[in-house]
Amino acid sequence: MTVIETRAKRGDASDGTGAGGTLGTRLSRVEGIVKIKGAAPYALEHRPANLAHAVLVQTTIAAGRVRAIDSAAAAAAPGVLLIITPDNALPLKTATNWLGVKPSEGPYRPLTGDITFYGQHVAAVVAETFEQATEAAALLNITYDEAPAIPSLDGAGEGTVVDALSADWGDAAGALAAAPVRIEHEYRTPREYNVPIEPHGLIAQWESDTLTLWEPSQWIDFMARTYAEWFEIPFDNVRIISPYVGGGFGSKGFAYPHGAIAAIAAKMLGRAVKLAVTRPQTFTAFGGRAETRQTIALGATREGKLLSIVHRSANETSIKDVWAERCGTVTGIMYATPNFSSRHSIVPVNTVTPGALRAPGENPSAFAIECAIDELAYEVDMDPLQIRLLNYTEKDQHANKPWSTRQLREAYAAGAEAFGWSKRSPKPRSMRDGRQLIGWGVAAGTYPVRRTAGQALVRILADGTVEVASAGIDMGQGTYTILAQTAAGALDVPVDHVTVKLGDSRLPSAPVAGGSQLANLMTAAVHKAAHAAREELIGLALNDPNSPFQALQANTLVIANGRIAAPRDSGPGISIADLLRRIGRDQIEALRDTFAENATNPDDRFRNFTTITTMRAPTDGDYSMHSWCAHFIEVKVDEDFGTVRVSRVVSALDSGRLYNPKLAESQWKGGIIMGIGQALLEEGVVDRRNGRVVNNNLGDYLIATNADIPDIQVISVGIPDHHASALGGKGVGELSIVGVAPAIANAVYHATGKRIRDLPITLEKVLQH
Amino acid sequence: MSDPTISMQLEVNQRVHTLRLEPRVTLLDALREHLGLTGTKKGCDQGQCGACTVHVDGARVLACLTLAAQVQGRPVTTIEGLSSNGGDLHPVQAAFLEHDAFQCGYCTPGQIMSAVACIREGHAGSDAEIREYMSGNLCRCGAYPNIVVAVRQAAEDLR
Repeated sequence: MTVIETRAKRGDASDGTGAGGTLGTRLSRVEGIVKIKGAAPYALEHRPANLAHAVLVQTTIAAGRVRAIDSAAAAAAPGVLLIITPDNALPLKTATNWLGVKPSEGPYRPLTGDITFYGQHVAAVVAETFEQATEAAALLNITYDEAPAIPSLDGAGEGTVVDALSADWGDAAGALAAAPVRIEHEYRTPREYNVPIEPHGLIAQWESDTLTLWEPSQWIDFMARTYAEWFEIPFDNVRIISPYVGGGFGSKGFAYPHGAIAAIAAKMLGRAVKLAVTRPQTFTAFGGRAETRQTIALGATREGKLLSIVHRSANETSIKDVWAERCGTVTGIMYATPNFSSRHSIVPVNTVTPGALRAPGENPSAFAIECAIDELAYEVDMDPLQIRLLNYTEKDQHANKPWSTRQLREAYAAGAEAFGWSKRSPKPRSMRDGRQLIGWGVAAGTYPVRRTAGQALVRILADGTVEVASAGIDMGQGTYTILAQTAAGALDVPVDHVTVKLGDSRLPSAPVAGGSQLANLMTAAVHKAAHAAREELIGLALNDPNSPFQALQANTLVIANGRIAAPRDSGPGISIADLLRRIGRDQIEALRDTFAENATNPDDRFRNFTTITTMRAPTDGDYSMHSWCAHFIEVKVDEDFGTVRVSRVVSALDSGRLYNPKLAESQWKGGIIMGIGQALLEEGVVDRRNGRVVNNNLGDYLIATNADIPDIQVISVGIPDHHASALGGKGVGELSIVGVAPAIANAVYHATGKRIRDLPITLEKVLQH
Repeated sequence: MSDPTISMQLEVNQRVHTLRLEPRVTLLDALREHLGLTGTKKGCDQGQCGACTVHVDGARVLACLTLAAQVQGRPVTTIEGLSSNGGDLHPVQAAFLEHDAFQCGYCTPGQIMSAVACIREGHAGSDAEIREYMSGNLCRCGAYPNIVVAVRQAAEDLR
């Protein structure tokens, strides 16, 4: 199946661009076969001996204190082994957080009687079987002293401005006041949830002071550090095993209270404990995207040229912790404006601390600015695509740096061409198909290039096959596949001779699989390690007395299709396996990293893999680096019923060089589909009486189904960006959701003449207007 | 206390297993926790996501809403029983791989079991029909367009 062309190796990023199976080709997922057979082991599928089952119990008030937990009935239920409550849970130590900060030196209590949100864990029941634990958990009788709660952002006040997120240039207020055209509107997005189809959970097992966790993870090293610090054991005493992750979308990067509770239970019982968070419990076991509100005021000339942007935004956070959904991240970089002002506030409410969900910050940010620019287009009677080109910015005005690459003009052109944008009738309500109003909308998106150092191990084995190893993970982005492709290309072996091992803290460390950074940093590390292994192999072949090439006195050798030969020798050479046998080596191993040459301090390296403090900003360096996209979307709105269906999507995206277009296109489509759900379906509904998330299940919290999704065309307009990464890629995974919701909102306006500024765009909003 | 378990015989993938389980154990938990057949996935445990789809008497059912005791004497097929004993992939599996009809892989066994039944039911006649009859299986990675292509191709291959 694999044909590898023989070619000279330059050892730089231009290698491996075309041959079968190597980077740039449309290789199918290498781990696909085990997934389609149901043979891929996800975390909870590990079956240790003597396993006990834990079931969580969550609060039914949003604020106050637990008065008492009567556990007599539960304790007497069949099979019950242990009931953990705030009174008997082992106190842990506070761990360093992802920002590298330890909030206190005091104890950490994953179960506490101090209640700050509905659905907070308050107890856990452990029993011999899952059924017994579930039954006993329902028998706990918990009483509360309830206190007033703030259920959601509405009526929660103005909050606190996060100064670090403020941005200003020019005189935004003055220029807005003086602008001939002014528009100002508020845009809102609701609580949204990650809902990976694999729910959270883990199996925890202790052997003396060593803790092993089978737990899905986007960030093994940080989670291992958290457990180590909680339990005051050395980092190396924690092993996390996560070879397959059933989706994460930002939600599987941290160790959460339920993880602590499972590990406590396993320690208290001296048995392996499985804790599966139920689907309803996942809605408050960790946070999804915070609810946001934004006000955008645009000042412009009558010709549509921006003069000023004034942006004010806020998101909900929890009572106890800070989460900023940074709504200004796109506002300041998408369009050229001489005057700009942005402020972002956080507002505490009685919720679980919100978290990262696909493109945190950029996603709601783009919703507001991309709707606002569309509103301006109608205000000045201009085509929505034309106004975007008119206000195109040639540099990052905030950072005052040029773009590394910005193929956004190309994205507009390619998307518009494929969509047929020129055939659009400009007026709202001017296109229809019977009782269906047709609307065409456009919006842009962007996501920053994030960079953290990585490392990887590449091993050439005695049989000539190759092993790549990293604690980095694959939750469907294609890590297994592109790392196999990278090694195959660098070593010139068939890709099916490469085995990739991921997702185990025993393997070389990796930073978070988040911020769309993992593919870039891991391909760079594997590329480097594979070339080091290749050089060592060639060196041995040239110099080892038992090598058939030793007598040649050659300067170098070529490797092709797993065979090694002299450069101008017409002979077939010998296989790598033969060479290793002749020179008496059972393997060649290279561990390489992408740290700066002088960065050898072990503490700094540990920090790099276990915090985000070493993650480089997109503007760190001479350029501002981002991926870009443009979405062209058609909706059909039923005139009588107000139902909105997306009927066509064409998106053109600039993610730089694609390491595997087949997999990148799948990820792009996945982001677009999540964006369709965000625009039309997804909303965490909060009961204002008690702060409960009412629709905490997959039947009521609606995500897109197959029938909601039309044909989607994605077009790559990227070019290799070697400022952004060693091999030329930019971010893929998060980019494509950014801009989808505003493109749909803009299309709904074009279809109906109704401007809906709060997501999701449900039929009652369409009918109400 | 009296023993709450009952003896039951389950025929899964053409093998008969005798188990002692409480009558309240679901087919899903019987497969995953007691038979080690973990290819069938638990995504919601309340009949909303389709990840636990298996075949009982050849028809697709949600294993999380089915008690193990209910399927005694009725053949059950899971993802592990789909490919031939020689290991050849079922055409639906092959099409899923070729068309990249999954990412994380967690909903995939349920999607594949649904797709096999969808084709067998005669509900794969058009893309619109495939979308409708595959909508009981949620995919958060958003592989839907590729699933439609894979099901369409597998339906043609099986014709």
